[in-house]
Formats: sequence, C-alpha cells, structure tokens
Amino acid sequence: MTERKWYTGMTTQEDWWAVWLGVGFFFLSLFNIAGIDLVGWITYPTKWVFSVPEGGKGAVGHAFYALGKKYSVTAKGFYKGLGWWSVLWTYVVFTIATCIGAAFMKWDLKRFFVGWTLIYFMTIATWFIGHHAFIAANKTNMHKYGLSFALSLGGGGSFILALIIGLIIGNFFKGFANYLSVAAKPEWYIKTAIVTLGVKLGYLPIKLAGMSQKLGKKAAELTFEMFFAGAMATIVAYMVFWPGVYIISRLIFKLPRKTAAVLGSGISICGVSAAVATGGAVKAKPVVSIMVAALVVVWAVIEMIILPGFFTHVWPKTDDPLVAAAAMGLAVKTDGADAAAGAMMDEFMRTKIEVDTNGAVKWPEGIITAGAVMTKVWIDMFIGVWAFVLAMVWVYRIERRPGERVPASEVWHRFPKFVIGYFFCWFFLLALYFGPGKAGAPEAKAFLKSVKAGAVPVEKGMRKLFFMLTFMSLGIITDFKKLKEAQFGKMVWVYFVALFLFIIPMAIIIAYLFHHGMQIPNIAEYVKPGA
Amino acid sequence: MEEERKAAAGTGSLTGEALEAEDVLAGAEPWEPIETKLVLWSFVIAIIALVIGLFVVPTSVLH
Repeated sequence: MTERKWYTGMTTQEDWWAVWLGVGFFFLSLFNIAGIDLVGWITYPTKWVFSVPEGGKGAVGHAFYALGKKYSVTAKGFYKGLGWWSVLWTYVVFTIATCIGAAFMKWDLKRFFVGWTLIYFMTIATWFIGHHAFIAANKTNMHKYGLSFALSLGGGGSFILALIIGLIIGNFFKGFANYLSVAAKPEWYIKTAIVTLGVKLGYLPIKLAGMSQKLGKKAAELTFEMFFAGAMATIVAYMVFWPGVYIISRLIFKLPRKTAAVLGSGISICGVSAAVATGGAVKAKPVVSIMVAALVVVWAVIEMIILPGFFTHVWPKTDDPLVAAAAMGLAVKTDGADAAAGAMMDEFMRTKIEVDTNGAVKWPEGIITAGAVMTKVWIDMFIGVWAFVLAMVWVYRIERRPGERVPASEVWHRFPKFVIGYFFCWFFLLALYFGPGKAGAPEAKAFLKSVKAGAVPVEKGMRKLFFMLTFMSLGIITDFKKLKEAQFGKMVWVYFVALFLFIIPMAIIIAYLFHHGMQIPNIAEYVKPGA
Repeated sequence: MEEERKAAAGTGSLTGEALEAEDVLAGAEPWEPIETKLVLWSFVIAIIALVIGLFVVPTSVLH
C-alpha cells in the first residue's frame, strides 16, 4: 500500500475542493459583518408565468433575482438592479472558482471550461422552466399566477427536470455527453452543496430566533421541544433504519455487502449525500452511488406528492400535526423534497383546522414546515458520523484479513473530507450566534441581520444551484444501457419495499413516540377576521 | 488500467468512465458474523436511545 501523508490530496481531490469552494464562499459571506456584501449577487429563481394576472405576480422579467435584493443590509439597491444579470454574475464568479479547482486537479481546463459553461446555462434554463408556476405552484398560491391547476411540485420539479434533461443527453446524445463529461462532476457539486448545508444548519437558530420573537415565548419553547424531540427521534430512527434496510438488502434481495451499505445509507439518511459519503467510506464502486442517488431523487418526489395529503386527510390529520411533520422529515430523503412537502402539508393542515373549527383555531404559518425540516436537519448531521463509523467498520473489521496491516491513516484517507467543511461552517455560525449574536437577544439583532445577509445567498442560492448542477451532471453521466446491464430494476424494488414497508411506517411510529400531543399555539384571537 | 480504475473507485468518484456495465447487484458475499454484530449493535443503540429519549424528552409519550 502506498504511504500517503495526512495532507495528501488537499489540492488534487474533489473532496477537498468541495471544502475549499464551500468554505471559501462562506468566508466571503462573513464580510457582511464588516458591512461589505460580497455574495449578494448569487442568483435565485422565483415562480413565473407568461402573462401575469391583474394584482398577481410572476413576471418573467423577475424570474431570476440576486438574493442580495432581499437580504443585503448594505447593498440592497445595487443587487436589486441586477435581476437576470445575476445569472451572469453567478456564472463568472463560479466559473473562476471551479476552473481554479479544475486546474489544481489537473483536468483538461479548456474542455472543463466549455463543458462547465454549457452545463451551467442548461442548468439555469432548466431551473427557469422548472419554476413556471404550472410546475412549481400549488393549490394555495396558484391563484396568484392566474392558474386554476398546478402540478404542485415546488422546487422538486426543477430537480426532476434537470435529471430528465441530463438523462436525455446522457442516453440519446452520447457524443455530446462524452464531451461534457469532463465538467459533469456530480460528486464534486453535491459535496460542495453539503458544505453549504453546514451554513444552513448554523443559520437555522438565527432564523428561528427571529421566528421566536414573533411568535412569543410559547413558540420559542415549542421550537426548543421540537429541536430536542427531533434529535432523539432521529437517533432512534437512524439506528433502526440503517440495519433494517441493510438486512432487507442483504438477506431478502441478496445484494453484495457494499451495495447494501450504500443503499442502507441512501434510504435511511439523506439520500444522495449519504449514498455518496457511504460509497466513499466503504469504497463501493461509483456506479452504486449513481444508482442510489438517481432512485433517491425519483422516490423523494413520489413521497412529496403522496405524503402531505396522506398525513393531512388520512392519519394523523390535524390531531397530531407535529407527529406528521417529524415523520415527514424522517421519511423523505432529500432536503428539497422534504422542505417542499413540509411546506405543502403546512398549508393543507392550517387550511383544514381553520375550516373544521369554523375559524376558532388558527395556526401560525411555518411551524409544521419547521418540524419537517428539524428532523431532516438532524438526519443530515448523521451523514458524516455514519460515514465515519462505516469507514471504521470496513477498514478494521470487514476488509481486514489475517496478516494484513491496515495503517491508522487509512481511516483518515477514507474519511469524507467535505464533512469537515460542513461541520466547520455549522459550528462557526453557531459560535457567532451564541457569541456576538447573544443567542438572538434584541441588542444583537443588527449583528445577526448582517450574518443572515451573507448566510442566505450561500445556504440558499449557492446550495440549490449546486444541487441543480448535481442532478444535471448525474443525468449526463448516467447511461441507462449500462444501468440495465447492472440490473437497475432490482434496486428499484429494494428501494420500494424498504421505503414503503419499513422506513415510512417506522418513521411514523418513532415520530409518534416523541412528538405525540405537541400543540401548535392557537393564534385565532390575535388574527384579524379575514386575515 | 485496472489498478487505476480501482483507485478511482476508492475515492467514490462519480465519473462517466467509472460507470462500468458491471453487475453490482449480484455476487452477494456470505453473511458474516461481523455483519450480525453491526446490525445488532445498531439495534441495541436504538433501544438504549429510545429508552433514554422517552425518559428525558418532555414531549414523549411517557410524559
């Protein structure tokens, strides 16, 4: 075995370059504390329609905007003027950043630049189409866009569309796909997105601090209870999910060990990210991560369509809204689909309780969504921890043979490095929140607002863009002919059985054990009639 | 070439070249005692976490 130093690969591996990109832009975002907004240009889409109804919204001219327009403290006016130009700003800055990475990794820079450019603009076009109100709006807001029907896919529609377009290129335009392959790097993009997910985690208390002030002491307590109950529910759920799926995969479907391990993490934790992390930890063949990642995306959207309606109208209805929310977070395997499903259920349940009680009970918006996101956030944290545990087990137990010496450094080399960036961003923001942010105290409000101005473009705009790039790239490099030869269909059945007969029922039971009876404050008496 | 491919697989890197038309779903190895230990310990940790959680989480069904 070649002896490697602890720092080997720091400038040449995708893993490390995900850290450099994610943490680099996170640091740029922190300049906001000094009053310099260096990340407000990051572009973000919004729902649109061809003809805006009177009094409605969704003009094509506003379909993309710089996030600084909404969140910047010091340069709101400037970023407001960017509009669609923010797409170009984002392209220029990220092109420079990714090309530097590509050069260090000794890729064909010219081909990477051209491939990246094509993939970027195809991704933006897909993001734009995916945000047409017919695709992204739901029945609670479609009227604002003059629609009487919408597919209610939220941001998940764009992910699916990106995957479909990528798959079309990868399967029907193979010469083109081959040319793009130098820049079609789903693993690099998803790991970068995961690092920025750490920014999202650190930003969460800052955001909730704002919510708590609005909702009062009761809501603050509820938030804390959700935080605590969500943590315990997630630990229990994960320790049941992973071995359960592993047993189903190994003993019922007779899958090889590494495939079962990756599948177990993909279905149990955070889908795409976990599949990639575990794939790296156990050194599975890359095709396994690709297959699981593709399945995760498809099944998450199916869950997103089924579960909000099921929880609202079949069980637990409005009797236990936070059980439903927590179960959603435990069962839906992508952040985007979970948040979208939670938001949809939030709307469904609030409408239902208000109608059922003739207006006597009204719930504040966002608590059910927060409940769904809370368990998901805890699950996200398991990506690194479980990848580390599996790496240990594989290195020291499963792959170790008599007489074979496994150097301790191998554990480090198998450790998914992007997790370092993920935890670093999270704890750094947490330190800012509890330190100068004084845990959300009113006197620190201005400080937290400046942190938020930087965090949101990174945790929202950059993260979602890199998710989109991941799905597009994943499709481009996925050749179904090869997947068919690898018996892709069998894995669909493993996923189906594991998800619907094991994961979802267990998620509901565990969510019930820790969240049963939790009540959302009734704000009916504070809300003006008709509001 | 084969060595290079193995090295690429070791990083978990997702590339078009790595998408080999190989059957990754067949050829299951026999179940080994370490796997029994892995899943059993996971379940044991789940049960311990469940018991502790039910006692310490104020919103659990025990309260």
